[in-house]
Amino acid sequence: MSAVAMKDEQAGKVEMATARSQAYGLLASVFRAEPSREFIDELRGPRFAGALASLDVDLGRDFEIASAEALREDLGIEFTRLFMGPGEHISPHESIFVEVDGEAGGLYGAITVKVKKFIETTGLVYDDAFTGLPDHVSVELEFMGRLSEFEAEKWADGDDEGARYCLSVQKMFAEEHLLRWIPQFCEQVIARADLPFYREMARITNEFVDFDYESIEKSLA
Amino acid sequence: MNKMNRRKFMQFAAASGAAFTAGAGVSGNALAGSIKLEEGGRDFSPKTGKERKAIPTACWQCVTRDAAIGYVEDGRVVKLEGNPNSIRTLGKLCARGQAGVNQVYFPDRILYPMQRVGKRGEHKWKRISWDEALDTIASKLKPLRDAGTPELFMYQYGRHKASQAATMYDFMAAYGTKTIGNHTSVCEAAKWVGQESLWGGMYDNWDYDNTDFVVNFGSNQFETHTNHIPTAQRLIRAMVDRGVPLYTFDVRLSNTAAKSTRWLPIKPGTDGLVALAMVNVIMNENLYKRDHFKFMRVTEDYHASVDDKIAAVKAQVAEFTPELAEKESTVPADAIREIARGFAKANSACLVSYRGAVMHYHGADSERAMMLLAAVTNNLDRPGGRVMGVGAGWKHPKSKPAKVHKALHINDGFPGEAAYPTHHVSHRVFDMIKDGNEGRPQVYWWSCYNPAYINGNNSEVTEIFKDEKLMPFLITSNIVYDETSSLADIILPDVTYLERWDWEDMVSGNQIAEYYIRQPLVKPLGEARCQGDVWPELAKRLGFELAWSDKEDFVRQSCEMTPGVREAGGFEYMKKHGVWHDPNDKGNYGFYEASVDVGGDGVILDEKTGVYWNWKKSGASSAADAKAKGYLGTEGAKSGYVAQNIDGKAYLAYPPNTKFTKSGLLDFYSDNFIAKGLPAFPTYTPVPEHQKMGSDDMIMTTYKTAVHTHSRTAHCKWLVEMKHDNPAWINTVTAEARGIKNGDKIKVKSDVGEFATTAYVTEGIIPGVIAVSHSLGRKYSGVYASGKSSPIDGGASPDPDAKNIWWKTHGTHPNVAIPNWSDPISGTQRWMDTVVRVSKA
Repeated sequence: MSAVAMKDEQAGKVEMATARSQAYGLLASVFRAEPSREFIDELRGPRFAGALASLDVDLGRDFEIASAEALREDLGIEFTRLFMGPGEHISPHESIFVEVDGEAGGLYGAITVKVKKFIETTGLVYDDAFTGLPDHVSVELEFMGRLSEFEAEKWADGDDEGARYCLSVQKMFAEEHLLRWIPQFCEQVIARADLPFYREMARITNEFVDFDYESIEKSLA
Repeated sequence: MNKMNRRKFMQFAAASGAAFTAGAGVSGNALAGSIKLEEGGRDFSPKTGKERKAIPTACWQCVTRDAAIGYVEDGRVVKLEGNPNSIRTLGKLCARGQAGVNQVYFPDRILYPMQRVGKRGEHKWKRISWDEALDTIASKLKPLRDAGTPELFMYQYGRHKASQAATMYDFMAAYGTKTIGNHTSVCEAAKWVGQESLWGGMYDNWDYDNTDFVVNFGSNQFETHTNHIPTAQRLIRAMVDRGVPLYTFDVRLSNTAAKSTRWLPIKPGTDGLVALAMVNVIMNENLYKRDHFKFMRVTEDYHASVDDKIAAVKAQVAEFTPELAEKESTVPADAIREIARGFAKANSACLVSYRGAVMHYHGADSERAMMLLAAVTNNLDRPGGRVMGVGAGWKHPKSKPAKVHKALHINDGFPGEAAYPTHHVSHRVFDMIKDGNEGRPQVYWWSCYNPAYINGNNSEVTEIFKDEKLMPFLITSNIVYDETSSLADIILPDVTYLERWDWEDMVSGNQIAEYYIRQPLVKPLGEARCQGDVWPELAKRLGFELAWSDKEDFVRQSCEMTPGVREAGGFEYMKKHGVWHDPNDKGNYGFYEASVDVGGDGVILDEKTGVYWNWKKSGASSAADAKAKGYLGTEGAKSGYVAQNIDGKAYLAYPPNTKFTKSGLLDFYSDNFIAKGLPAFPTYTPVPEHQKMGSDDMIMTTYKTAVHTHSRTAHCKWLVEMKHDNPAWINTVTAEARGIKNGDKIKVKSDVGEFATTAYVTEGIIPGVIAVSHSLGRKYSGVYASGKSSPIDGGASPDPDAKNIWWKTHGTHPNVAIPNWSDPISGTQRWMDTVVRVSKA
C-alpha cells in the first residue's frame, strides 16, 4: 500500500470513529433528558432533516410546523411518560431488562454495578451533576461515544494498536451490555410512544447499535 | 424497514456532529474525566471482588423502628439485619424490616420531581427540576404567609416520628401553620385517649421480662404490633423459659392467639365488658390488691378511704357479671372467672390491649376498663405489669417561630363528633374540607400517607382529592405512585428511609431508654431528596432561616445537645455504633410513688382534689384568686401541677400532662367524661349498630399480617411473595348457613360500599364475623403491589424478577365498605364495627 493510500485509510478510520462517536452522542442526548429548545431547532434544521429523510424517518407534520415551545412541552411530557412515570413507564436502565443468574435484578441491580465498574475502569467517572442511575440508556450510549472518540484520537496519532484495543473494549461493552437490552428497550419505546419522535429515535437507535456492532467486528477482523 | 448502511450512517453522524457543534445537545454529560486505556494495563473484568460495608441504621417499615445494620456491597444495599447492640431489639429484625431493601430498588420508584399536566387522575405528568418545583411551591405558600393566613397551608403525615417529625414541625412553626394533620385516629387514638384520661401522657408498655401472667385483648403481638420486635420476643421468651401463660381474646385465631395458652374467641366490641367482668370476679372474690387503690379515684370524693374505694368499685362493676359477659361476648363465664383469678393471684401480670379491643364505638372507655383491671390488681407501673413506655428524650435545635401561628379547625372532626380528640380525627379531614364550614386549606401537602387507600369509605376521599375547588393545590413527597399521590399536582421524590438521616426514640421493651440513629446506607437514587433537606431550602425561598442546614446537620446538632449521647461521643459515636443507652439506668418503674418537695414558691394545696399546684405557673392572677377558684376552677391550673396529697404525703402520682384536666389520681371516676355526657366510670356501651343487626347481618373486622404494614409494603416483592392474598375468614357454621364453601367467590356489602373476595372457611374465627386483612388490593403502587405492569397504569416496566411472580392473586381491600366514622369519645376510626351482608358471588 502506498503512503498516500495508507494515509487515506487512516483518515477514513478517524472519520468513521468520529462519526460513530457523534451518532452515539446524539442518541445519548435524545434519551438523557427532555429536548431543549436549541436541540429541537437543530433537529428541525435542514442538515438533520436530510439525514432523517434518508433513514426514512418521518417525525410527523407536527414536528415540522408546531411552535418550538409547544413541541418542547409535548416532547417533555412524552419523555416523562415514557421514561420516568410516575405510573406507567419504561424504566430505561439495563438492570430492568437484563437478568444475571443468581444476582439481584431490579433498579440499581447487580448489573448496574457491573456497568459502573466497567465505565470507571476506563478512567471515566460519573459527573457529580448527573442525577441518573449508572446504567441509564443514555450513559451507555455516551460511553460508547466516548470510546469511539478516544479511538479516533488513537487512529489520528498513528497508534493503530491502541485504536484496535479501544475497538475491542467497545466490542466487549456492546456484547456484555448494550446489545443485551437495547433491542428490547427500543421495541418497548416503539410500542408505547404516542409521538413519532421517540418512536423513530428508538428505531434509529436499534438499527444504529446493530450496524455499529457489525462495523466494530469488521474493523477488528 | 430501511436498514442503516454506511452512507446513511455517515449522513446521520454528520448531522449529529453538527448538532453538537451548534451546542444543541444536552447541557451536561453523564461522564467526566478522560479515558486511559492501556493495552494490558487495566483489568476489564467486572469480577474485581466486592467490598461489603456494615452501617448501623434504623428500620422504618413500621413504627417499631428497630435499630438495624445495613450491608452495602458495591454501593448497593444488599442486606439488613438487627443491630446486635440494641437493648430494644436484641439484634432482631422482622421479615418486613429485612425486605426494606425492596423499598430502595423497586422498579416503580419515583426518582424525579413531577408536575401534573392533565386532569387530576389522568396520569399525565411532566418532569420538572427541583428548582422549578420549589419555586412553584414557594409561589403558593409565600402569599398565604404574607397575607397573615399561614393556616391555609395544611401538612398531613402518616408515619412521621422522631427527627422526621421534629424537622417538619420546626419548619411549620417557623412558617406559621398549625394546620397539621396526622393519622393516629386510624391507628390507636382510642387507646391513648382512654389512658390519658387516667394516668396522663404515659402510654403503656408491658414488662414481659418480669411478668408472671399475660392477658391480651385484641393485640396480634407476635405478628404485628406498634412495638413488635421488642415485645414479641420478650413475650415468647417469658412463655418458653418461665412458663408464663398468655390468654388471648380475639375474634380470630391470629398467630398470636394460636401460640397462646388459650385462645378465647370474642364478639367484636365486647372486650371492655369482659375486662369489667374480670374486675367483678376479682372484687367479689376479694382477690384485689389494696396497694394501688390510694392512687385511684373511683367516686366523686377525692379523699375516700381505700375501703370506701374498694366498696365503690365493687358496686360499680356489680352488674358486669361473667354471665352477662358470656351472653354478650360469647366468652364462657367459667373462663372469665379462671383467667381473672389467675391474673389477680399472679405476683405480677400484664394486661395487653390494642386495636381489636379499642377501635370501636366507645373504644376509649374499653381501654379505661383495661386500666381498671390492671389497677385493682396492682399491675400498673410495677415490674412485671402494665408499665409506662420509655423512649429516648432527644434535645434538638429549634428555629425561630413565626409571629403569626394559626390553625384551621379541621383536624378534630365536626363539632360534637368527638369529646376528646386529643390525637385528632385525621380520617375526617377530607369530610371537613368538603363541608367547608371550618375553612379549606389552599395548599395541602402530604407525606408517608395514602388516605385514598387507607381511609374508610376511601372512594369518597378520591373524589374529594379530584375536586380542585375543594383542594386547590396538592403536593406530595413520595417514593411510589399510589392511590393518593396519583391525584397530586406536584410529586416530590422522597428518599427511602435507607437513604436518610434521623434520630430515633421508639419505646423500649425493658424500661431503659435507647437512643439510636438512622444513617443513609447509600446516596439517594435519582433526584430523591429527604424532606429534612427540603425544608431549609424552601424556608430560604419564603424568606426565613431554620436553625439547621439539612437533616444531617439537625441530627448532628441533636447528638451534641442531648445529655448522655453527647458525653458518649456525640454524633461520631452514634455514626459508629448506631445505638446508645445509659449503662447505669435501672429502668423506669414506680414513677407515681416518687416523693415531691412541695415547699416551692407559689405551691398551694387544693383542698378539694388534694393537688399541690403552683398557682404562679397556672395563669392565676394571685394566690387569693387561685385559692378562691380552686385547682379545677382555674384555667391552666394543670400546668402548675406539682404533686398529689395522699394521706398527708406528697406523691408525684399521675400528673395531668395531657389535655385532660385532672388530679394526680387515676381518674376512674372522671369529671371530664361527665362534662361531656359520657359515663363517669368505665362501663359497657354496646355498639349501637350491633344492636340493630338483622339475622343475616355480620360484623366485619380487619387485621394486619406478619409481613405487611397497612399501606407501605405492598411494593416490596419479597413480602408480597409471602403474602399476596387476603381471603375473608368466615366461620364454618356461618358459611354453611349462606351456602358458602371454602374458596368460593363471595360479595361483602355494607351501607357504604362493597367488594368481592374469596372465602376462607375456618373454625378459627368466631361465628357471625368476617375478617379481612387490610394491606392488599392495591389499585396502583407498581407491579408487585397491583400485579399490573405497563402499559396498564400503576407500574413501570417490570424488572427481571417479575417473571418469577408465580402467584395470580393480589388481594382485595375492605376499606371501601367501611364507613368513615368515629368513636364519640376519642374520635378514633371505628374499624371493627362495620355491619355487612355476605353472600356467594
